[in-house]
Amino acid sequence: MIRLDNVTKVYGTDSVAVRDVSFDIAKGDFVFLVGPSGSGKSTLLRLMNRQERPERGDVWIAGRNINELGDSRVPYLRRGMGNVFQDYKLLSNKTVFENVAFALEVIGKPRHVIRQQVPAVLELVGLEDKHDRLPDQLSGGEQQRVSIARAFVNRPLILLADEPTGNLDPATGEGIMQLLDSINRSGTTVVMASHDHRIVNMMRKRVIQLDRGVLVRDQERGVYE
Amino acid sequence: MWSRIAYAFRETWASFRRNLTLTAAAVVTSAISLLLVGATFLIQRGFDNLLVRWKGDVQMIVFVASDAAPEQIAYIEDTIKSQPAVIDLEKLKYLDKAASFEEAKVIFTGDPTLLSLLTPETIPTQFKVVPLTGDAALVRSLAEQYRGLPKVEGVSLAEDEFQIISTLSGFVRTVTIVMSVVLLGVAVALIWNTIRTAMFARRREIEVMKLVGATNWFIRVPFMLEGLLQGLIGGVASCGGLWALNRAWTSGVAGFKPGTGISALVVPGSYVNGVMVMLLIIGALAGAIGSGIAASRFLDV
Repeated sequence: MIRLDNVTKVYGTDSVAVRDVSFDIAKGDFVFLVGPSGSGKSTLLRLMNRQERPERGDVWIAGRNINELGDSRVPYLRRGMGNVFQDYKLLSNKTVFENVAFALEVIGKPRHVIRQQVPAVLELVGLEDKHDRLPDQLSGGEQQRVSIARAFVNRPLILLADEPTGNLDPATGEGIMQLLDSINRSGTTVVMASHDHRIVNMMRKRVIQLDRGVLVRDQERGVYE
Repeated sequence: MWSRIAYAFRETWASFRRNLTLTAAAVVTSAISLLLVGATFLIQRGFDNLLVRWKGDVQMIVFVASDAAPEQIAYIEDTIKSQPAVIDLEKLKYLDKAASFEEAKVIFTGDPTLLSLLTPETIPTQFKVVPLTGDAALVRSLAEQYRGLPKVEGVSLAEDEFQIISTLSGFVRTVTIVMSVVLLGVAVALIWNTIRTAMFARRREIEVMKLVGATNWFIRVPFMLEGLLQGLIGGVASCGGLWALNRAWTSGVAGFKPGTGISALVVPGSYVNGVMVMLLIIGALAGAIGSGIAASRFLDV
C-alpha cells in the first residue's frame, strides 16, 4: 500500500530531514513512526500525501509513484487518504456536522450523500448527539474525534495521523487509540507518528523508529524503548 | 454540479461581507479608472468629429454648389489639377452629395436644427485638397483663385485653430490614456490585495480543503468570482457616471451659439452605449484576472 525507496528529503540547502529511508507498509497495517522531535516523523507523513517531494528516492502509494504525479492529480490522491493532526485543524466557525460535511462538500459529493454519511461517521466516533456544537464547545478529545470523523468520512484507504494524542490526557488518548484501532480493523491502513511511549507500548503494533532522519529500527509488535 | 455552484456563490457572498471596506475601496477605484477610460473614448470621439473634415492632411476644402452641372464640376477639378507641383493629385478627393451628407451628420450631431435643414439634394459637394507646399501664402492665393471659379460656393482653409485643436486632441489623448492605465493598474492591485486578504482570512480553511482533496480550481473559483464581481460593480458604477457626464455635456453644448463648431463635440448615443459595454467587459476581466493571479499565488498555504 505504501512503499518508500531510499527516500531523502532536504530542507533548504543542508538541513537533512530524512536520509535514505526505505520501508514497505502492507494494506491494512497499523504502523507507528516513533522518535524524538525533529527525527523526521512528520516529514515522512508529508511525503506520503505529497505535501512534500523528496530530493532522492520514490514514494509509492497503492502501486503509483506519487513523485511522478502531476500537480493536478494530487487532489485525487488525497481523496484516498485521511489526515489527523495534533491541533485538530477544525474550522471554528462551523459546527461538528459542518466540519465533517466540509470534507465531502469540497470534493463535490451531492447533498444526499452528505446527509447519509456524516451522521453515520459521527455515530462511529460517538458524537452523534453533539453534531450542532461548535468546536470550542467541545473537549480536546471530542475535537480530535471530529477531526478523525472528517478524515474517515470518505472511507479512505490510508489514514495518516500526526501525534493525534499529543494534546490529550492519557485516558482521552487511549479512547482515541481505540477509535483508530477500530478504523484499522475495518481495513484502513493507519500510519501514526508519535513520541508517546505509553500509547506505543500499549498498542503493540509495528514500530518504525527514526533518529535524526535515519531509520534505526523496524520491528513487528514493537515497543517504544 | 449544482452543489458546487451554490458553494461558490455562498462563499463569494460571505467573503464580500467580511471584507466590506477593502471591497469598497477596490470597487470605487475600479469605477473611477473605468470612468476615465470611458471619458477618454468620448473625448477622443468628440475631437475626431471636430476634425473629421480635415482628416488626412487636408488643408483646403472647395465647396461646390449643389446645382452645379457635371461639366462645371469637371472644370473645377481640371483647374485644381493644373498645378501638380503645388497640389498632391493622388490625395485629391471629391465628395459627392451622399458622402458630403454622411460627413455632415457626424459634424452636426449636436445641432439637430441645422442638420434638419440639410438634405442630400441641397448639400454642397466638396473637393478635399492636400497641398504639397508648406507655404501658407501660396495656399491662400490658390484659395482666392478657386473662389472666383463658377459654381464654387466657398473655400475653407484649415486655419490655425484646427492645428491647435489637433495638437490639443493629441495631448488630451496621451494624458487621459496614461491616467486611465495607471488607475486601472491601481484598481487591479487593490482587487489583488482584497483577494489576498480574503485568502489569508481563510488560510486554515484552504489548508483543510487541500488536504481533503479539493482541486485548486474548486478553491480558486469563489475568489475569482469575488474579484470579477468587484470589477463588474465598478464597471456598472462607471457606466452610470459616464452616462450622466455625457448627458450634462450634450445639454451644455446645446446652449452654445450655433455655428461655433462646438456642436461637433457631441457624441452619438449608440457610441456611448458601445463604450459602456466595453467598460463592463474591461471591469469584469480586470477583476477576474487580478484575483485569479492572487488566488494562484497564495494557494500554497
